[in-house]
Amino acid sequence: MKVSYFETGRYQAPADIPAIWPMPAAAYDAAEGTRVFQGMIERIALAQELRFDWVSLSEHHYSPRILTPSPTVAAAYVAARVHKIKIALLGPIVSHSNPVRLAEELAMLDTMANGRLVVGLLRGTPNETLTYDLNPRESRQRTDEGMELILKAWTEPHPFGWQGRHFRYRTVSVWPRPLQQPHPPTFALGTSREAAEFAARNRIGLGVSYGPFELMGRVTRYYHEQCAQHGWEPGPDQIIFRANIILTETDTQAQRAMEAYPARAPFSLGEGVAAALLNLDARNIAGEARPASVNRALPINFVGGPDTVVDQIRRCREVIGAGLLDLGFNTPGTNDPAALLDALDRFGRTVLPRIRDI
Amino acid sequence: MAEIASAFREGSVDADGFRIRYQEGGEGPPLVHLHGAGGLRLTPAHDLLSRAFRVIVFEMPGFGSAENQRTQTIKDLATTMNAAAEALGLSGFNLMGTSFGGAVASWMAVQRRDLVATLVLDAPSAIRPEGSEPVSGSPEEIACRLYAHPERVASSPAVEPVLAARRLAIVRRLRGPGRDTVLEEGLRGLAMPTLVLFGTRDGVIPPTMGRVYKELIPDAHLVFIYDAGHALMVERPEAFTEVVTDFLERTEAFIISRMKTVIYP
Repeated sequence: MKVSYFETGRYQAPADIPAIWPMPAAAYDAAEGTRVFQGMIERIALAQELRFDWVSLSEHHYSPRILTPSPTVAAAYVAARVHKIKIALLGPIVSHSNPVRLAEELAMLDTMANGRLVVGLLRGTPNETLTYDLNPRESRQRTDEGMELILKAWTEPHPFGWQGRHFRYRTVSVWPRPLQQPHPPTFALGTSREAAEFAARNRIGLGVSYGPFELMGRVTRYYHEQCAQHGWEPGPDQIIFRANIILTETDTQAQRAMEAYPARAPFSLGEGVAAALLNLDARNIAGEARPASVNRALPINFVGGPDTVVDQIRRCREVIGAGLLDLGFNTPGTNDPAALLDALDRFGRTVLPRIRDI
Repeated sequence: MAEIASAFREGSVDADGFRIRYQEGGEGPPLVHLHGAGGLRLTPAHDLLSRAFRVIVFEMPGFGSAENQRTQTIKDLATTMNAAAEALGLSGFNLMGTSFGGAVASWMAVQRRDLVATLVLDAPSAIRPEGSEPVSGSPEEIACRLYAHPERVASSPAVEPVLAARRLAIVRRLRGPGRDTVLEEGLRGLAMPTLVLFGTRDGVIPPTMGRVYKELIPDAHLVFIYDAGHALMVERPEAFTEVVTDFLERTEAFIISRMKTVIYP
C-alpha cells in the first residue's frame, strides 16, 4: 500500500468567523494566511521524511477550509521547496477551467518537479460551479470533454484543432511537454459511472473518495469491468482512495475525537442555494443516482489507534482494491497546528511501516 | 424539420466511359464530395454545407445500382472522378472526401493540382494501420463501428445484401495498401490548403492517423471532432460543418477566432 498526505493548507479560523460559503473576504487574516503557506512546507517536508509516497493538493474556492484555489500554483511552490516526494494534484477542477491552459501548466509542473507530478482530473463539488459562473447541468459534460482534450494536448505531436461541444480551439500545441512520457500518471477522480467509463476508455487510473468501503468497492468493480471491456486490467496503483483519518494513540482517544467531529460542513451554503444546487447537479455512484454532498461534513473513514487503523486499511484494500490511500488528517477538538504534525508523525511511525505489504 | 437534403436534386454526367449519378444542392463556390465505402448517403451536414456552397455529391462507379468491374485501382477511380468534375465544367473547386472517398480525393488532388483548390479529408482511409478492415456486418454492427453513440443516431435504411457485398468487394479491390509510398510521395507535393478531420472516437481509422497527414502534406490542418466516431457528418453535423465552412472560406486564417464573447454591450 502506498500513502499520500492530503495537504489542505489548513487555515485556523477564529471561532467567531461566520460559518458560511462563500466566506466574506473581510474575514481573511493575512498573518494567518502567511502561516498557512509556511506550515504547508513544514508538513510536507515531514511527510517526505516519514516516507509518504505523495503529497496531494486540491482545488477549492472562497473558503478557509482549503487555501489552494489554484493547485498548480501551490504545486509549483511545493516543488521548489520539497525535492523528493511526488506531488499529486487531486485535482484541478476541469469543468470550469480552460483545458489547454491546464495541460500547459501541468506539463510545466511536471518538468519543474523533475517528473514527480501525478494528476487527478476532477469535476468539482456542486458549490464550485458558483465560483466561475458555470451551469451545474453542464459540469459533467465539460469535465469529460476537458479531460479528453488535456490528454490529447499532451500526446499529439503536431498542432491540432478541437471541435468540441463546450470547447473550441483552432490550434493547440502545448509547450513544454510533460517530462513523464506520454504524460504523468493520470486519474479521473469520481465515483460516477461516467468517471469510471472515461478512465477505462482512456486507460487512466480512477480516484474514489470518502464513501464507505462497500460503496467505493462497487465503483472500483465497475471500473474493472469497464477496463476489461476495453481490453486491459488496471493494477492497484491505478486506484486511489481519498479518505479522512483520525489517528490517535488509543481507540478511546479516537472515539472522544469523533465526538468532537461536526456533522455539518464547516462553511455551508444557504439552504435555498443548497437545495437548488442539489436539484440541478445530478450525481451517481457507479450508475446509481445519488444526491451530491452539500453542507454535510465528509465522513471519517479510518478512526482509532494504530492497530485498529491498520486493520481498517487491510479491509479497505480488500474491498476497494486501491493501492494508494490519500489521507486527510483530522484533529477535531483542537486548532493547534502541532496536533496535525503529531498525527502525521504517528502515522509515519506506527502505521505506515505496517501497511507497506498490504 | 424538413427531410434531410430535401432541397438536393439528382443529376448524372458521362465521364471516362461511365454514367455517374450525383446529388446537387445549394449555391455558391462548388464543393465536390465523395462518399465513403457505404455509398452515397445525404446527411444533415450536406444540408448545412449547402447553405454556403454548391454541393455536388458524386456516386462513384460501382457503389450504385450498376456494377463496375473496369476500375482496377484507386488511382483509376480518381482519374474517373476528376473527369466527372471536369465534365460538369468545374475547375478550381473545393474537394471533400469521406473515408474511402478521402483516399480517392487524395489521389485526385495528387493527379490534378490544377483542378483542386482546397482539400478536405474527412476521416480519410488513405493511411491505415496494419490489419485495418473496412466496415461490414449487420446494420447494428455497422452502426457500432461508425458511431461513438449509435443509440443517438437514427438507424439508416437497410442496404440490400447484394449491394452491400458489391460495395465491400470494390473497396477491398481498390483501396490498396495501408501505406502507399507513391501516394505519400504525391501528398508531399500538394500545395493546396488541406483540412484533415477525425472523430476522437473513430473506431474504423484511429484518429492518430491524422498526424501522418500533417507530416506529409505541407499545408495540412488537423482538427478533431470531439465525441464523434467515424461518420462525422452524421454524428456531429453542426460541429463538422462549422469548421469545414470556416476553413473553405478562410483557409489557413481559419485559426483566427471570430467568436464573439461580449455578454452585454
